[in-house]
Parts: sequence; structure tokens; C-alpha cells
Amino acid sequence: MNPTISLSALSKRYGRAQVLDRIDLEIGPGVTGLLGPNGAGKSTLLRCLATTLAPDAGRASILGRDPADAASRTEIRRRLGYLPQDPGHYPHFTAFELVEYVAILKEHTDRRERHREVRRVLAEVDLADRAKTRVRKLSGGMRQRLALAQALLGEPELIILDEPTVGLDPEQRMRFRALISRLGESRTVLLSTHQTEDVAALCERVVVMNHGRTVFEGTPRGIAEVAAGQVWLSDEPPAASRLFWRTADGRYRTLGHEQPGAVLADPTVEDGYLLLLGEPAEAAA
Amino acid sequence: MSGDWHVPGELMERYAASRLEPALVMSVEAHLTRCGRCRAAVPYEEEWLAGSWERLAAELDRPRPRFAERLLRRAGVAEHQARLLAATPTLSRAWLAAVAVVGALAVVAGRLSGAGPEIMYAFLVMAPVLPLAGIAAAYGPHVDPVHELQAATPMAGPRLLLLRAGVVLVTAVVILGALSPFLPGPGALSVAWLLPSLALTAALLALSTRMPMAAAAPVLCAGWFAAVLSGGALSQDDLLFFSPGAQAMYGCAALALTALTYTRRRRLDPGEPR
Repeated sequence: MNPTISLSALSKRYGRAQVLDRIDLEIGPGVTGLLGPNGAGKSTLLRCLATTLAPDAGRASILGRDPADAASRTEIRRRLGYLPQDPGHYPHFTAFELVEYVAILKEHTDRRERHREVRRVLAEVDLADRAKTRVRKLSGGMRQRLALAQALLGEPELIILDEPTVGLDPEQRMRFRALISRLGESRTVLLSTHQTEDVAALCERVVVMNHGRTVFEGTPRGIAEVAAGQVWLSDEPPAASRLFWRTADGRYRTLGHEQPGAVLADPTVEDGYLLLLGEPAEAAA
Repeated sequence: MSGDWHVPGELMERYAASRLEPALVMSVEAHLTRCGRCRAAVPYEEEWLAGSWERLAAELDRPRPRFAERLLRRAGVAEHQARLLAATPTLSRAWLAAVAVVGALAVVAGRLSGAGPEIMYAFLVMAPVLPLAGIAAAYGPHVDPVHELQAATPMAGPRLLLLRAGVVLVTAVVILGALSPFLPGPGALSVAWLLPSLALTAALLALSTRMPMAAAAPVLCAGWFAAVLSGGALSQDDLLFFSPGAQAMYGCAALALTALTYTRRRRLDPGEPR
């Protein structure tokens, strides 16, 4: 099966900063998570894939088309749903009006069908009863769900979500995961996140980015296995390691070499992620 | 109707067939809200009921068109395009009022102050940059809060930008055009802002294929003011830039720059490689 997204040596600079550095990547159907710290280049990569930003160099194929070509770019946009990191809103619009506005931009010209589609996506994100509420009166979590609703218009084949779980409470996050899992059964969903829990719960594949490069591609289990044999639990803080933190049960979780008096623990996605980044974890008091 | 009473079969048939008088319909429906047995006896078709609910939901959800949208609909613009254009940030009452106030002030000041020629000159210098400012505030990442959402849709880039630029230009021209005949001075001079306005708008769009519109607009405004003020001062003729010869040049420039924008229109798309 052809990948939905195929990138070859994709690069982007902002001034002197190399934000994307020769990214080679293939993404197919299902849910793929893009994990990385702030400034890793995740949002820039997603903007290039959503065709809102042109890369400086490299080649891309999205839904079998070349986004560098104007006609192909329009065709990609017809089959794309995109939730930007900062989606913005017109505060005087109601929830219905904002989603309807995007539906018009997505060429839903027939009013009756457009209204039906708007009601469908609002129901998908549990905002049907808020259709007539002005956007400025919605909570942060509701606005985030509203932004997600517009990304679902027209049942797009490719859905790109930049930090979609920001602002959602635990219950909303759980509902969001259920929705994304369902969407991922029949289409390609690419989401960026800081949350390793989202990746572990949702994603069949994970791409870890750091400093504009991909440093890992594989499964969530694969990330956890990066830390296999390197996760230790002890009652006392380790003397040498800087990659440790105090857990909820009062013990110390250390990443790296064996610690005196420590026992080996099962690695998690977060352990593997931290080791991949090679950054010292914050030591919690 | 007491608690033991139920809608008789014949009455129910007439109700279902919509053959009852309004007063009886209200009476039956008041009973139906309290009586599950009679509600269950109301015949209905699944398809009809689903359709009715959908029509009701559509009616309840239908947004109330705003002022700008109603104006556009009255001008014959299609429903979906009117909604799209009415969302243009510039087309807020604030901008419309600003354009109207500038024009109205010129008219009032010109009529009352006795400084007709000076007021006319100030109006001619100011009027062409009003559409320019409006268009610059109509589309772009720094002026439109949902720009990033829009940029990933099929309407993104030249289609949306040119639609919005067009509606802002027409709106400004209509408002200023309506006020121009009331300005003190010869009639031909009172519309001498129109071609400079079109030329500056065309220049803004052409320049936007090279640089962000938010940067291009101030550059053009500054260039226009510098040229008109210094040219007038050097030539001792304030109206040099509004003479018939200059008007011909603005017309030619507007056409040439529009053609240039058309050939480079793909560069107005944020996803176009540079």
C-alpha cells in the first residue's frame, strides 16, 4: 500500500535556524504520533504537510500528490483536515457559524448539506448543544473541540492535528482518544503532542523529533524498548545520574546505568522518549 | 380533557392528516404532551419524522445573517460567498464607520470652514489609501485570527485574498463615491481619487506576491504620501498628481499591475514554494 505521506530530505529554515533538517519519512493509514520537545520542528513539519507553509528544499508526496504544484495542493486541501496549534477564532461567531465558515472554505456550497455536515461534526465533538453559543463564551476545552470539529468536515482522508489535547480535561481527553482511534481505523491521522500518554494510548506508530530531525520511528513499544535495561527504582536518590525523579510512591526512578541498591523496572514510552532526547530529566522534590 | 379521556380514532386520523382546525390541533397536542398512550397512537413514517427533525434542526441552527452579509445578499452575491466575504476582518462596522467618517468630515469641513481647496486636496491625498489599509487588514497571518485554518482549505491563497480585496475595494469606493459629489470644488476633481486608489490597490496586490501584505501596505502608503506631498511642493502645483495626465498614468498602471498580479497569483498562496 502506498504511504499517505512520503517525505524526502525535506528542509526548512527560519533565518539562520534550521527548523527542519533533511526529514525522510513515510506515514501510512492509522494513527501516527509526532513526539518532541518545544522547538523540535513538529509544528513546522505539520504546517508543511498541511500545505500552509512551503519547505525550502526536499520533496513531499501527500495523498499521492506533490504539494509544490498549485493544482495538486488544492486537491490535497480538499482531502485534508487540519487543526493548527493556534487555530484562532472569530469571537463574535457562534460555534455553528465558525464551523460553517470553514465548511464554505472547503467548498461545501449547498446550504442544506453544509448545515447537516456542520451538525454532524459538532455532535462528534459533543458540542451539538453549544451550536448557538458565541465562541468567546466557550471554555478553552470547548474551543479546542470546536477547532477539532472543523478538521473533521467532509470526512477527510488525512487528518493533521497539532497539539490536539491541549486544554482538554481528563474526561474530554478520553473521549478525544476514542474519537481519534475510530477515525484512525479508516484514514490517516497524524498528531503532534508532548504527552507520551497520548502516544501510548492512541498511536500505532511514533516519530520522535529533536532539533529538526527525526531521531526515532517505530511503535510505542519500540520507544519503551529503547529504555529496556536502563530503568531503575531505588529508595535513595542516585549519586551519579542526573536522569532521575521521585515518583508518587516516594521511590526514585533513574534512567541510565545500574545504580547501587536499585532494582530494574519495566520501561515506559516516557522513559524511552527521555533517553532518546538525551536531556536530563527534571529532578522533582 | 380529563385524565380518562383519549383522542378518539376519527379525531386522531384527522390530526395525522393535518385536516384539523388550529384550535383543535392545539387541544390535541396539549393532550399528547401529557398522554403516552395517545402519543404512541399517532401514526408516523420514520423517514418523514427524520426529515421533520432535520428541517427543524436546520431552522434552529440557521445563523442570523450579519449586517455586511445582508448587504452582500441584497447586492446579489451568492449565500455562501456572502457569508465568506462578510467574515472579512476589515468589513467590521469599525472600518466601515472609519471610511464613512473620513469622507463625511471632509464634506462637512469643506462646506463649513471656507477652506474648500485645502480640504479637497487633503481628501484626494487620503482617499486612495483607505482601501489600501482595508485590504491589508483583510487577509494575512497577522490580521486574520483564523488565517492558519483558512490556509489549509481549497479556497486559500489567491481565491480568498482576491475575493476579499475586491469586496473591500468596492465597499470603500461606494462609500467615498457617495460622499464625493458633496465636496467643495469642481465635480471632476471630486472623483480624482478613484484611479489613484485603483492603481495603489493593484500595486499592493502585485507587491504582495513578493512580500507580506502587512509590510507592503505601509511601504505603498508612505511612498504615495511622499510622492504627492513632495511633488506638489516642488512643482508649486498641489494638484499635479491629480491632473488628467496623471490620471491616465494611474489607469495604465492599474491595468499593468493587475495583469502582473494575475500572472504571479500563485505566489499569493502561503503554500507556494519561493
